[in-house]
Amino acid sequence: MNKISIPAASQIFQSNNTKIMPSSTPYEAQKSFASVLKNSIEKVNDAQFQSDQLTNKLAKGGNVDLHEVMIASQKASVTLQATIEIRNKVIEAYQEVMRMQV
Amino acid sequence: MTIFHSINNSASALTAQRLRMDVISSNMSNVDSTRAKLVNGEWQPYRRKTVVLQPKEGSFSNFLNVAMNRQDGVAGNGVKVSRVVEDETPFKLVFDPEHPDADENGYVELPNVDPLREMVDLISATRSYEANVTVLNASKGMLMKALEIGK
Amino acid sequence: MKLFSNTISTLESALNYSSTKQKVISQNISNVDTPNYKAKDVSFKTAFESALNTTIAANKTDQRHYDFKGISQRRPGITIRKDTAYNHNGNNVDLDKEMSDLATNQIYYNAVIERISGKFNTLQTVIRGGK
Repeated sequence: MNKISIPAASQIFQSNNTKIMPSSTPYEAQKSFASVLKNSIEKVNDAQFQSDQLTNKLAKGGNVDLHEVMIASQKASVTLQATIEIRNKVIEAYQEVMRMQV
Repeated sequence: MTIFHSINNSASALTAQRLRMDVISSNMSNVDSTRAKLVNGEWQPYRRKTVVLQPKEGSFSNFLNVAMNRQDGVAGNGVKVSRVVEDETPFKLVFDPEHPDADENGYVELPNVDPLREMVDLISATRSYEANVTVLNASKGMLMKALEIGK
Repeated sequence: MKLFSNTISTLESALNYSSTKQKVISQNISNVDTPNYKAKDVSFKTAFESALNTTIAANKTDQRHYDFKGISQRRPGITIRKDTAYNHNGNNVDLDKEMSDLATNQIYYNAVIERISGKFNTLQTVIRGGK
């Protein structure tokens, strides 16, 4: 019985739309922001790990190209710095909000 | 296939050409040597030597990596001198009865070295050496540039 | 809290190997004409045994048995090069191989220095928090 239920199909379309249009509830906004944050941290970790692997291969004389190693290390560095800047901005925004007088 | 693969190939070519040069210089210096080898109690003159160049085979790990799709192809490993062989062309016969090594008819057997041919080989070896030095410098330049990525 | 990862210790061993190789190359080149001089080489594998972290402890059945000596401080080993031809004066230094090893070693050293300073810069950026 391969009935695709109509609510499930509409949910699929709705979750695509939340990327383009602002979300309807604060809970959904928080959830999507949390997943974006988690994704970006995982990407930073992956980039660092990849760069580490290639550097180890280079140091031990393995089957890599020098430009591969350099490019991977630059990607890791740029990704890390971008994430640090984003974190700083988020914290600044939070502190700005907390300073608002009710 | 490390990052220094092309430099190692060029270095093998430089070694091979230098050995070829050594052989050429040996031939030139012995162009008049009539007593090189004692065979059956008789002196034989110097025989011209040549080098045989052969490409070095790819190592097993190269072929394994290609078969396991980790590498796109075997790039070859440079050149080596496989043998130094003696030239079997007959000796030159020169009429000189005064020579201590003249036989009963007054003929002397001289080495089968042609100085003109050796000069041509000399120029060829020199040009190959220079070309390989250029390739090595180009590889080194590329690697140094790669180190500047992101600077 | 482990600040310095295994990669940094691998890179340190690589730098040890590279500086030893530089000394060996310069000695070979200066002795290119010395009779009966045998060219030296640096063994690559012993330089990285510490980085592979194979900490094998001796299985002692008696208190008086000796432990395996600390592997972590092993310096790269200097060996005799056996794959070059000998000259008439007993010397086996191949000048072309030494010069190309010089170029190779220089690039290797630069690349490893580049990587290790990149890693330290990353650590400093993270500790400072982007300020």
